[in-house]
Amino acid sequence: MVQERRILYEHLDVPNINTFDVYRQHDGYKGFEKAIAEYQPDDISKMVMDSGLKGRGGAGFSTGLKWSFVPKDIEPRYLCCNADESEPGTFSNRYVLEKNPHLLIEGILICCYAMGIETTYVYIRGEFTLGKKMLDAALEEAYQQGYLGDNIKDTGINVNIYTHPGAGAYICGEETGLIESLEGKRGQPRNKPPFPAVEGVFMKPTVVQNVETLCNLPFIVDKGVEWYTEMGPTYGDARFDPPKPDQNTGTKLYCISGDVNEPGVYELELGLTCSELIEVAGGLRGEEVKAVIPGGSSAPILTHYELDTRLDFTSLTLAKSMLGSGGIIVMNETRNIVDCLLNIMKFYAHESCGQCTPCRWGTPWVRDIVQRIADGEGRQEKITRPKFGIAEGGRWGDTGETEEIYEDLDLLESVANNIANVDTMTWNTICVFGIAVSWPAVSYMRKFRPEFEAAIREGKLVTLSVEEATVPPEENYAFQQRIIPKEMSELA
Amino acid sequence: MAFIKLNDLEIEVEDGTNIVEAARQNGIEVPHYCYHPGLTRPANCRMCLIETYGTPPGAPPGTIAPDRQLATGCTTTVRTAPPDRKYEEKFDAIVRTDTPRVITAREDILEFLLVHHPLDCPVCDQAGECDLQDYSHRHGRDQSRYVEVKNIPPKKDLGPDILLYSTRCIVCTRCIRFCEEVSGTGELGLINRGSHDEIDIPRSHQGNPIQVLDNKLAGNVVDICPVGALISKDFLFKSRPWFMEKQNSICTGCSVGCNITVEYKEDGVYRVKPRFHEDINQHWMCDDGRLGYHYVNREDRLQLPLKKVDGQQSVTQWSDALTTITEKLSEVEADDIVVIGSAQATNEDNYVLQLFAHNVLNTTHLGLFGQLPGEEHKFPQFTIESDKNPNTAGARTILGSANGNVVLEDDALWEKVANAKVVYLVSGIPDRTLQDAEKAALENVDFLIVQDILPSEVTELADIVLPGTTFAEKDGTFTNSSGWVQRIRKAIDPPGEAQLDWQITQQIATQLGGEFNYSFSGEISIAISENVQGYEDATHQKIGDEGIKLA
Repeated sequence: MVQERRILYEHLDVPNINTFDVYRQHDGYKGFEKAIAEYQPDDISKMVMDSGLKGRGGAGFSTGLKWSFVPKDIEPRYLCCNADESEPGTFSNRYVLEKNPHLLIEGILICCYAMGIETTYVYIRGEFTLGKKMLDAALEEAYQQGYLGDNIKDTGINVNIYTHPGAGAYICGEETGLIESLEGKRGQPRNKPPFPAVEGVFMKPTVVQNVETLCNLPFIVDKGVEWYTEMGPTYGDARFDPPKPDQNTGTKLYCISGDVNEPGVYELELGLTCSELIEVAGGLRGEEVKAVIPGGSSAPILTHYELDTRLDFTSLTLAKSMLGSGGIIVMNETRNIVDCLLNIMKFYAHESCGQCTPCRWGTPWVRDIVQRIADGEGRQEKITRPKFGIAEGGRWGDTGETEEIYEDLDLLESVANNIANVDTMTWNTICVFGIAVSWPAVSYMRKFRPEFEAAIREGKLVTLSVEEATVPPEENYAFQQRIIPKEMSELA
Repeated sequence: MAFIKLNDLEIEVEDGTNIVEAARQNGIEVPHYCYHPGLTRPANCRMCLIETYGTPPGAPPGTIAPDRQLATGCTTTVRTAPPDRKYEEKFDAIVRTDTPRVITAREDILEFLLVHHPLDCPVCDQAGECDLQDYSHRHGRDQSRYVEVKNIPPKKDLGPDILLYSTRCIVCTRCIRFCEEVSGTGELGLINRGSHDEIDIPRSHQGNPIQVLDNKLAGNVVDICPVGALISKDFLFKSRPWFMEKQNSICTGCSVGCNITVEYKEDGVYRVKPRFHEDINQHWMCDDGRLGYHYVNREDRLQLPLKKVDGQQSVTQWSDALTTITEKLSEVEADDIVVIGSAQATNEDNYVLQLFAHNVLNTTHLGLFGQLPGEEHKFPQFTIESDKNPNTAGARTILGSANGNVVLEDDALWEKVANAKVVYLVSGIPDRTLQDAEKAALENVDFLIVQDILPSEVTELADIVLPGTTFAEKDGTFTNSSGWVQRIRKAIDPPGEAQLDWQITQQIATQLGGEFNYSFSGEISIAISENVQGYEDATHQKIGDEGIKLA
């Protein structure tokens, strides 16, 4: 049985940990004090790079690498903390903000020290009223105690933190959408490049970091890189010779919801499997696992055949899904996948910012198609198209045969792929919202095609048994194409 | 200069040129909606996708492969690369606009654009000059797969001249960016979100407009709208674009001299649109100029000469009018004659007038008459000047060219007029009102000859009224306030028996023994280039459509 490994959440349940005094008693600000006492700013950046810390917000981009892109000669530089946690199924940042806001402040201080930043904006999701209240109170205390403001602890470092509530748009969690919103404009993502590291808030270099990423920093500094890298697997990228190490270090705040007995946030080392996670969360509620969403609603779904997938950045990417924000939703045999997809598509159609053409008019179109199928009004006409499957040489590809498919299902797949192509991982949109729409649409349809077909054929939603609803592994595009990464130790 | 490979062409373009422009310069169309050369580039329509090439990460040097993602042509700019970073040892960039990926992407985007777009082309003003129509025809699929219900956002009245058919809008935001960047007035914005995006003006909760789109440049949003969403009320349902002829000309509304295209049919001018000129008006023009053409079509245009008999003006023959004028002019001393040119007339008109005054009448009393000064309007990227005449600079130079540059204006002119016996006034100024001093001076004149286009306070005082022509009816040149000499061209025929202004002057001159006989205005421009200092290059041939700047 896997045990929780509480680091960020270690003192979460201590009464009044949100106050400065209690936080200090539990080693609070020790990481920051150690940083300013023992290390130069560049040392901190190097530690973060060596620690292999990956951004916890969704994209899983190396934090150290991101910091290295920030030009050091342009003043001012900004830190923007992304606390706009709005991915459905994700609720871990919220606990940090509401219960232990000083941990975030300490993380911000370390980042600011390392990058020479004096101004930080914390963009908090508008609905987190309690979280903002707690953070504001903690900021006031930190200012009083001399941990914020000018000349912190006589070191000559100045750091000011401002909180800014969002107005309820999902897209403002996208880093450039967030920056636009912070600047007072309509929350619409920018074209990249230039990336925020070069031109961010007010067109100045900006580090945008998730709450959870920043909260890791005090522990990396306080306990050392070696201690940190022991957690989580380090894979070898076999495309390189010798294999290039691919670190998935540290812990992750997994938010488990859906059909489990004890839903909630669990802090675990990266790299455990889907099945193990369900066990940690008190086991499945129901008979069988039908599907698991591994990383927030935009991540491609996993079938019960893929439950051995390890939940870390590399493994899930190679399994044609993603860890994303770590919002895991478990579905048992009573769930209808068409209905689930409709729910998710309604969300995305509502939240599309409407800036670029494919997403503005593609997302409602996908929703309408799913709505029609769910209403039992799917069209009965079938079309013939090339069949993809295990082709010559055992690889996934065009088999040279044809298959019959309901026109609406082909349309659903085609429209979603026109927004962002799931197979080639290319998108015609400005931001990655496009792929966040087409990933679920295409993966649900392909992996649970019998259930979609039943809905059209019967003219109503039909919930099939798990076996019947899921396409067999040999027809599952993701299962056939997935690569299971090997740890460095295995490769050696 | 950057050396790039575009499809199979090897071409040189300026550093910083984007691919849409580079392709356009070389005759390749990259379809686009949100991109406009005069505005910022949000790259939101995703129509100009192109395939860029580079060396993939990890591949051996020299390998060239398509980049994973398609790039937007409007934001992809090319620059000269350092020698060690050239592709195939010579190219600064390699791009293709004709690969299957690009072609499919265009089809996909067009399908999305047409999802909610109504098929009301038969009643849409833009049909025939619509980018959505044209690109669908050239780059789209022949049918849509959309069977759901279309969005039907409301039709909106945005301002005095602008209507918004929201159903047709493709949310390219050109109009919003125009109001922010060029006019700086910012009346337009987006409301709602996602597929419910609508362009709108600020409104109260009850839906009443708080601010309307009525800035002096508002008409430009109609021009830059790539579809038929923004429509000019002035032109609404008037004509199909393909039924109108087009002629390049210059706006007569003020001394900026915006380049325009006059669109006309046999029965008159239908609309005026700005034409690109890099140094003068870029892509824009103001609404005063845009909507100011209506006087050309007016029913009460002067069509026949008028003669005052017993204090009453009545229609007469050209021959009678010219004979009367000749008789009067030969009766008086040269010193008692004042000849007044117009700042609305062309350089050619004024040149012949000046020849007439000096060589035939032997008078040195040459004046200049123009529209009264108006207001100046400054915008971030555009200025409307206070001098409401197109040719003040040109008229001053031409009229004064043989007279030591002495041209009577304002008080000096009216003082001279008040003491004159015969005044020959070329006006051609629509709706010109007279100030008290001007009126008093003109009333004092024994015999007043007015050459004009419309009945006005000036023609009321005249003993003889000669019907002249507007800018749309003649060829010629104007000199703007910054010294650009530009051509206007004849679009429509003059009404009734109205004649070209310089021809009228020449006929009077001939009757009085004048020795010049020009047959078309280009000939006069050659005479100007030979005789007027600074205008050495200003022949029609050299001026062309671009204009020339005086030294």
